Amino acid sequence: MTSDQQKINVCLLLEGTYPYVAGGVSGWVHELIREQSHLTFHITAILPPDASQDYRYELPDNVVGINNIILHRLQRGENMKSRAQHQLFQQIETPLLNLQARARTKDLKKIMALLQDAGGRVGSQVLLDSEEVWVMMIRMYNTTMGNNSFLDYFWSWRALMGGLYSMLLADIPEADCYHALCTGFAGLLLARTRLETAKPCLLTEHGIYTNERRIEIGSADWLEDPRSQNLNVERNRFEKNLRDLWIESFAGYSKLCYEACDRIFTLYEGNKDLQLEDGADPEKLFVIPNGIDFERYSSIQRSESHPPTIALIGRVVPIKDIKTYIRAVAILQRSVDNLRALIMGPTDEDPDYFEECIEMVDHSQLNDVIQFTGKVKIDEYLGEIDVIVLTSLSEAQPLVILEAGAAGIPSVATEVGACREIIEGRSDETPVMGAGGLVCSLSSPGEVAHALQKLLTDPQFYQSCSGNIKERVRKYYNKTDQHKAYRDVYAQYTG
Amino acid sequence: MAGIGFVLRKLSRQDNLIGTVQAYVISALISTGPWLFTILALGSISALSGRFVSRSVLVEFRTIIIYNFAFSLVLAAPIYMVVTRYLADGIFRQDVSNTPGTLVGSLVLLYAIEVPIACLFYIFYANLSTELVLAAIINFLLISGVWLISVFLTALKNYRTVTQAFGLGMLATVLGAGILSRLYGAAGIITSFSLGLSIILGLIFARILSEYPHPITNPFAFMRYFIKYWEIGLSGFIYNVAIWSDKWIMWFAPEADQPASRLITFSNYDSAMFLAYLTVVPSMAMFILSVETNFYEHYVKFYRDIQQLATYKQIHENWKTLVRSILSSSRGFLVLQGSICVMVILTSSKIFDFLGINFLQLGIFRFGVLGTMFQVFSLFILIILSYFDHRKATLLVQSVFLITNVGFTLISLKLGFKFYGYGYFLASLVTFIFSAFITMNYVDKLIYHTFITRNASVTE
Repeated sequence: MTSDQQKINVCLLLEGTYPYVAGGVSGWVHELIREQSHLTFHITAILPPDASQDYRYELPDNVVGINNIILHRLQRGENMKSRAQHQLFQQIETPLLNLQARARTKDLKKIMALLQDAGGRVGSQVLLDSEEVWVMMIRMYNTTMGNNSFLDYFWSWRALMGGLYSMLLADIPEADCYHALCTGFAGLLLARTRLETAKPCLLTEHGIYTNERRIEIGSADWLEDPRSQNLNVERNRFEKNLRDLWIESFAGYSKLCYEACDRIFTLYEGNKDLQLEDGADPEKLFVIPNGIDFERYSSIQRSESHPPTIALIGRVVPIKDIKTYIRAVAILQRSVDNLRALIMGPTDEDPDYFEECIEMVDHSQLNDVIQFTGKVKIDEYLGEIDVIVLTSLSEAQPLVILEAGAAGIPSVATEVGACREIIEGRSDETPVMGAGGLVCSLSSPGEVAHALQKLLTDPQFYQSCSGNIKERVRKYYNKTDQHKAYRDVYAQYTG
Repeated sequence: MAGIGFVLRKLSRQDNLIGTVQAYVISALISTGPWLFTILALGSISALSGRFVSRSVLVEFRTIIIYNFAFSLVLAAPIYMVVTRYLADGIFRQDVSNTPGTLVGSLVLLYAIEVPIACLFYIFYANLSTELVLAAIINFLLISGVWLISVFLTALKNYRTVTQAFGLGMLATVLGAGILSRLYGAAGIITSFSLGLSIILGLIFARILSEYPHPITNPFAFMRYFIKYWEIGLSGFIYNVAIWSDKWIMWFAPEADQPASRLITFSNYDSAMFLAYLTVVPSMAMFILSVETNFYEHYVKFYRDIQQLATYKQIHENWKTLVRSILSSSRGFLVLQGSICVMVILTSSKIFDFLGINFLQLGIFRFGVLGTMFQVFSLFILIILSYFDHRKATLLVQSVFLITNVGFTLISLKLGFKFYGYGYFLASLVTFIFSAFITMNYVDKLIYHTFITRNASVTE
């Protein structure tokens, strides 16, 4: 840190996102920094080795610094006497194994202390490539998964250790408080920062890292190894297969991060359960939902004279389950005359899937009913839409329900992420406002069609949903509240 | 969603754990092939032409051929070693379309370097008749061409074509020499040798073009390999300088020949050494056989099992088997070559008597036999090292051989005639001990080296 650099109020620890990747979390961070313009921010960006380093956002003026940490890329470092190396790896082995099984802060502390003792200049030469660490790696392999492919273990071990050490050896700037946007490697960095600096640490999780990794790892077929289907029941406490190794390591990092945090924020209630499962202290958990510009959307004029119109706003990709929407429309149009169904969002992300959707529309003879609008400004359409539909297989806190809700448009959505909370209200909502739409099961076209039919054909029910959702959004999902909540948090921790 | 987490897919199973070594090893073998070829060519042509021409013509011929062999090997080696690696990588990638282009490109490069050097040397330095100058230069370029072009077939393991081409070429040479030597003296013998070489070149060239019917593309694409694999090029150069260095130094002995042509040699030393080289032929044959069968099988199993997701226990087991096969083969060579060596040394005076060789060469020959034994052991070790793609060690071993051979030969030259050949023997012995030490150390940690130091995905 040079002396002419400005004091940093908040250091954001970001993994694979802002400002190098466009997307939901990046947009959120960009807005956070702009809204808290009275504070100075530093960005510590963790990137994969081959990532693009072009900015996708124009950094606001209150970003006073940015540094990148490239995952797995360590300095070569200085060599050590082989005796000292031998001792280091004798002592570091158990805490490393613990980190892959049931991580505790004291394990991380021990690892950090050993690296400290090794003298600051230790790097990949000693930690990953030396003959001494090789011997330790073989021991760790024999302890954890000696019956599995050694080649696979080798690469996984290197990737995990490379990730760990690149977090533990990177420079961290001095700041009033540290705020991570996910657990994982960023969370590990936060845990280390806490131990080193004792400064306040905050975490905001949009999606739950370990949960998303579990899904990813579960579907990674290259982790498949017939040998890992070990029928031996008497497994020792460290014994595992490659999938366990990865998942337990990430779970461990999350736990360390949760322990390090003063406060843990998430977007909706449902996420809290997953965080508790991963070992978060319930006292630290808070929900700060994302808000929308209520003034803007509530002032949209709704037209009276238009055919009954429903709309799915989202990209045409499998995770949005557009096909269930098309099937639901096919059922619905039998009972609702003159129906118009829109699909509003870019169609170029997964051309094969888009093609399949088109074929399905043709096949169901819905060409007059369903319309793909491509990417559009939804403000211009909202006035003519009666119900918003969301058939997604996975969501966090979908803003379209809120934006449409502000305009008084009810939604029919699958039970994912925060959808139920938004449509039916949180369990602690007082006074209870009532439903702002209907919640359906995943991939259930019939259920969706039935819900839509009710909304489109029962004006009384429709009006109550419309009023409820508008009121709920105004009260709980106003952007100004979201910004104020973070302003208060930062005020408390940047002193 | 934020988070990288799992960008590790591509890191997990990489194909480059097995280097592309199979073809590279062949180039180590052809480093000895030319030697035997040189000795046999000199011997048979001398024996045959000796009946028709005077001794001085024969000496003139032999001197020029020795110069051509020595310097063509030294100059061509860096190019053919690098080209071999380039071709091997192409075969590994299953893209051989550049082969005809590379052949043309490397020949152009070789001649661009050699033509000026050969012309300067033979026209301005050597004191030879015009027809001898012309014959010598042409012969030099043809020999170099043969070294280079052989690589293209040996890299493809096409031994048969090579053998046939060489046999036919040598037959033409011998027949030609019988006729031309009587008409044109030394220039006639050299030209008939050149004729034979032309036949060899033409046959191999045709074979390559028929095996690779591709247009000539990217003739100089291999040039970047000089940067990427500079150790290989340098190794080839050093190795050939090293094996000639004792002969070159001995050319400055007071007993050496000082002909009017100014092409000095020391025929007593050279002939003794050439003869000594013949004693390693049985070991070479046994080695090639043993590498191709016993060692290679364990070698491939070691790497393949790693790729096919073996456990560490299996890998360790394979490693032990591989080490055992190396050790047992080594014992075999030691016994075989040791016995040959002892027998030849004990009976050397009888052999000399029988072949009618000058007894002045006897001491040099005995040291030569001992020296070639250790040199051929070092060569085996170098080949093992190149199988494990340990390029730095290969270079180091060859440098040690060069330095010790130069150093010890200079000392033995100082010490006088009784010690001639002792320098070469000592250099070979030291190099052998050094290379055995390095290799044992390396093979001892082979699994570690395979995953860490030889693994391009780790070291990059």
